[in-house]
Amino acid sequence: MKTPYKILIFLIVAMALLLVSLSLGTRTISPAEMAGIVLGGPGSADYTILVKLRLPRAVLAMVVGASLAVSGTVFQSVLKNPLADPYIIGVSGGAALGATVAIVLDAGQFAVAAAAFAGSIAAISAVYLLSRRMSLGSTALILSGIALGFILSAAVLLVYALSRSDQVHRAMLWLMGDLSGARYGMLNWLGAATLLLMAAVMAFHKHLDIVSLGARFSKNLGVTGGNLRALFWIASLLAAVSVSLAGVVGFVGLIVPHLMRNVFGPRHLRLVPAAAAAGALFLLASDTIGRSLVPPYEVPVGIITGFLGGAFFLVFMVRREAGR
Amino acid sequence: MNVFELDSITAGYGGAPVLNDLGLRIAGGEFVAMIGPNGAGKSTLLKVMAGDIVPDAGSVSFNGRPLGGYRPRSLARMLSVVHQAAEARAAFSVREFIRMGRFPHQSALAIEDDRDREVIEWAAETTGVGHLLARRLTELSGGELQLVRIAHALAQNSSVILLDEPVSHLDIQHAVMIMDILWKLNRDGATVMAVLHDINLASDYAGRIIGMKQGRVFFSGAPRDVLRYDLVESLFGTACIVMENPTTGRPFVYPVPGYIK
Repeated sequence: MKTPYKILIFLIVAMALLLVSLSLGTRTISPAEMAGIVLGGPGSADYTILVKLRLPRAVLAMVVGASLAVSGTVFQSVLKNPLADPYIIGVSGGAALGATVAIVLDAGQFAVAAAAFAGSIAAISAVYLLSRRMSLGSTALILSGIALGFILSAAVLLVYALSRSDQVHRAMLWLMGDLSGARYGMLNWLGAATLLLMAAVMAFHKHLDIVSLGARFSKNLGVTGGNLRALFWIASLLAAVSVSLAGVVGFVGLIVPHLMRNVFGPRHLRLVPAAAAAGALFLLASDTIGRSLVPPYEVPVGIITGFLGGAFFLVFMVRREAGR
Repeated sequence: MNVFELDSITAGYGGAPVLNDLGLRIAGGEFVAMIGPNGAGKSTLLKVMAGDIVPDAGSVSFNGRPLGGYRPRSLARMLSVVHQAAEARAAFSVREFIRMGRFPHQSALAIEDDRDREVIEWAAETTGVGHLLARRLTELSGGELQLVRIAHALAQNSSVILLDEPVSHLDIQHAVMIMDILWKLNRDGATVMAVLHDINLASDYAGRIIGMKQGRVFFSGAPRDVLRYDLVESLFGTACIVMENPTTGRPFVYPVPGYIK
């Protein structure tokens, strides 16, 4: 299939999914009603639900899904490890600790996001400095990330042990991945930051191809340690931005890159945009399901991605292995 | 002019040094084969020459300048390395893989210009892989993959090529094919240095053979000067008989089976 057709199909699917996502929820709004509601202007309850709550939430889901999938793609290629994901170097652990502390201190939504971001940056820096002392090899990076992850989750549990149960419940919901905090204010800088970071990934698409084939191979082609460090920071920041606004949404950054590599091949010129598109759609679909499964309750999106992604992935792997 | 000048090199991987006070000169246009027992330091020497590891002591110069002083991209434009068996295989097409050799010549956003296309086609033709360009790396046989890896190295640069055991795991058809390609490149001016385990391929193709033992150069010279039974026996610790290869007139080395004595 030609690339323009693929893009067209993606846009059609994305639009359809977006309409479905906007119409589902506690109060169902059919796509036919939407135009009238939007044209009717602010004031009505439906306008608030549609434009101020559901739309930013759908956009946030897509941005976070795309960021996580692109971040996972970069980590899998740079670390040459198909099991790598955006959280492999401790981003989620740092963010979880930051957010948990902020939540049990009854901080506001913005402060929780800021604390999560600060925590993830601290974790990334720690792993970066530790593995740099061990010469930034991928095994060193993965092992220091895992070790730091254990320490940070122990710290999160310690905070739980010392907190009231309602605060623990709120913190746990955050940990499961939560898009309900979406507001326009955060979308502006989030969107700008992720677009910039993804453009940076695309500027490195040839480096990523080469790096995925081996460390000495890439060195002999002139890929520098500085290039690798830049990629490390870009991918980590993508994960940090997502996690601080949406919590620890699991699995997107692991399976989407993996599936897209199988469908579109290993060339990052195609793989990175494909992963971004698929990640955006996957998270939007997951969040829509989470919102409409048992209204008026919401199932955190991280739970849906776990079930849906895990099942899909298992089926995919079994079919692929059987097809060999 | 010397392409490589190595002086009193001591190098290794953190523990006991693998190379001890090693010195070596490689002149432009030479075809050098490196032989020696496992663990003698052949691959380590190649890594030092490729800039993959920095020696603990001693100096390496490449084209008259210290190797460490080159910017990685400019070094990559002048020096190609074919490593021992590929580290990883991914589903890149053969053409995409060969094109990666153009990476150090390209600007950040370039994919493939006319010059790149010309070089890619020349490299594919030289190595006889033109018919494989649309295939995936994952679909190739071991021999085909090795030819493609050499095409990749040629797309990168065709003046200085280092190869680590390029034919060790191949059938004789592919082994001879690859040695013939290297021989032609060398005839056209390329400096070629290859680690080889097959002494007789080294003898038939190389202008000079370096025997490595315990991290030092044990002998170095034209095949007929160094492939003498006494030297080969003490290099490998194996009884050998040396005769003349009737087709090339070069020395031919037979190891003597243990049950003969």
